[in-house]
Amino acid sequence: MSENFTIPVGPLHVALEEPMYFRIEVHGETVSKVTINAGHVHRGVEYLITKRNVFQNIVLTERICSLCSNSHPQAFAMAIEQIAGLKIPPRAEYLRTIADEIKRIASHLFNVGILAHLVGFESLFMHVMEVRERMQDVKECTFGNRMDIGANTIGGVRYDIDDERISFIRQQLSSIEKEIDELITIYSTDNSILRRTKGVGVLSQQDALDCGVVGPVARAAGIHYDVRIKAPYAAYDRLDVAVHTFQDGDVWSRAMVRLYEARTAIDIIRQSLDSLPAGPTVATDERPPIPAGEAIAKCEAPRGELIYYVRMADSPKPERVKWRVPSFLNWDALGIMLDRAKISDIAIIVNSIDPCISCTER
Amino acid sequence: MLQSTTIPLAVLLFPGGVFAVALGLMLKGMDRRLAARLQGRIGPPLAQPFYDLVKLARKRTMVPDIAAEPVFLGAPLIGAASMLLAAALVPIAGVYTPDPILGDLLVLLYLLAVPAVVLMVAGSASGSPFGAIGFSREMALMLAYEGPLVLVVATVALRVGSFSIADIIAYQQVHGAFLFDPMMWPALAAFLAFYPANLGIIPFDIPEAETEVLEGPLLEYSGPALGLFKVMSALKAVVVLGLGIALFWPSAPDSGALGILAHLAKLIVMMLLGVTVLRVSMGRMRIDQAFHFFLKWPLALSVLSLVIVACA
Repeated sequence: MSENFTIPVGPLHVALEEPMYFRIEVHGETVSKVTINAGHVHRGVEYLITKRNVFQNIVLTERICSLCSNSHPQAFAMAIEQIAGLKIPPRAEYLRTIADEIKRIASHLFNVGILAHLVGFESLFMHVMEVRERMQDVKECTFGNRMDIGANTIGGVRYDIDDERISFIRQQLSSIEKEIDELITIYSTDNSILRRTKGVGVLSQQDALDCGVVGPVARAAGIHYDVRIKAPYAAYDRLDVAVHTFQDGDVWSRAMVRLYEARTAIDIIRQSLDSLPAGPTVATDERPPIPAGEAIAKCEAPRGELIYYVRMADSPKPERVKWRVPSFLNWDALGIMLDRAKISDIAIIVNSIDPCISCTER
Repeated sequence: MLQSTTIPLAVLLFPGGVFAVALGLMLKGMDRRLAARLQGRIGPPLAQPFYDLVKLARKRTMVPDIAAEPVFLGAPLIGAASMLLAAALVPIAGVYTPDPILGDLLVLLYLLAVPAVVLMVAGSASGSPFGAIGFSREMALMLAYEGPLVLVVATVALRVGSFSIADIIAYQQVHGAFLFDPMMWPALAAFLAFYPANLGIIPFDIPEAETEVLEGPLLEYSGPALGLFKVMSALKAVVVLGLGIALFWPSAPDSGALGILAHLAKLIVMMLLGVTVLRVSMGRMRIDQAFHFFLKWPLALSVLSLVIVACA
């Protein structure tokens, strides 16, 4: 039966973790037109942020999105620190790096696990989530929370780790390291995964450049771009960060980039723990005064480059805060990836950009 | 040996009817429990499919405004009724032989195609685009797996020289089960590929794929109508696995309770090894991949087996 249908994918759909609406016109099993419609979880965060002072906003920015909940306050704090001319202590720089990479492992494994769920490989999904759970344990033990870890503050971090915590983190890292190596083998050899992801949702390097995609989506298309290398923040300039690129630009490459980045994150955390300097974790004990001014800061969120713009006037509340999230650029490329795709692959392709709707629509 | 019981009893009580429904739901419960354990979960209680059915029976069936109501509500009835009849056609070696008046292997083959047809009709009657996609996928899949099935049955019938199930079982009781006969292994392999597709489990649950088409034809169903589809699929498991046992692995000629227990044990083995372990160990295929798979392997194997048996 080869007919033309219009099928709604979303706003509520089992394959989507967050509300997003795709109006998909199909001919038989093939997609002929995609209309992406956003705006289902607009919460007015950009407005709310101007109604709170900068310290309250650390809490608010953390709640923009759960999976990048460390990157938002971090970039926000970096912008405020620029305005205030604060230099955060070295220990805080390393602790920020550690928090960033712990969140990255959990976020990437979550996405890769969902991929297995979408291709119907439930056992692998359960296994990946079990591996990820060790990282959740690390978060809970180190920060006291499993998702919103509250690591950052203006001028430093709000947590510190002692020797006992360090040895716990190291122990969890070595157990998860073997598992991630095994996952890399599974994802690069298992037939169920390969036949559904290889050559699916291809984004060529040229298209990737045209759309300006960032993060794992860009790196899977052969673009060597990572904020941690190009514009190092926190302690990344002192650490050895491997950037993984693939050339195919398909769903499989994106999953592999994420898995290898999770693997690299373990090395980064180990390096940070090895060279963790002693000293204070915040620049000033008192809350620093924030003068008028504006600044831009960026960091590498799990989904890619996250940019914050902050303008302060003569008030403790920001006059304007604007952020550009990685998913905003990446979901534009969905139009290209979904072109002539099969219905079965829609959810897999959408998931492969790891869309973060609540960040984008705030 | 209980010679052919009266027909209404066979259809409504044993081995079809109440017995087959309970057996099918029990097999589903075991399947879910083992799958959960293999995936590191605790899993639902064994009786969960029964609870689900009771819950559905107490709810209302919602009919979408754009659905063709008589067809929409009739489809699950026809599906469940056809499987109820089919369950009475499957023999239990040494215990039950279906009355020839009910039908033979060919009737069973036709009845086995009914659930897929019913799902197609239900999907298109529901008016949902996902139902329509489910329709086309179900049809493609059915075209792919029906051929090998017919050839497998033809192979067995050719070997035995009869289309009667009773004869097929009697032949194997004298000459040994085909399961242990290397000449019949290609046919067995083709059958082992057929039944996951017919039962709609991973990797062949394509028409109902939850993450792709949201259960496809079943999307708009609720309440007792959905319950009937669950009954249909539970019965289908009993029928298809029972057919497999009759074709390849009938019991030794013991009778009564022991024969039933042996049959149950085989059903459980086939369900857990052939369905549960299979579905937790891989992901779903795309419809084109599944279609190519069936044209490539099961069809070739079934043709090969027919040739071997014909030449032997």
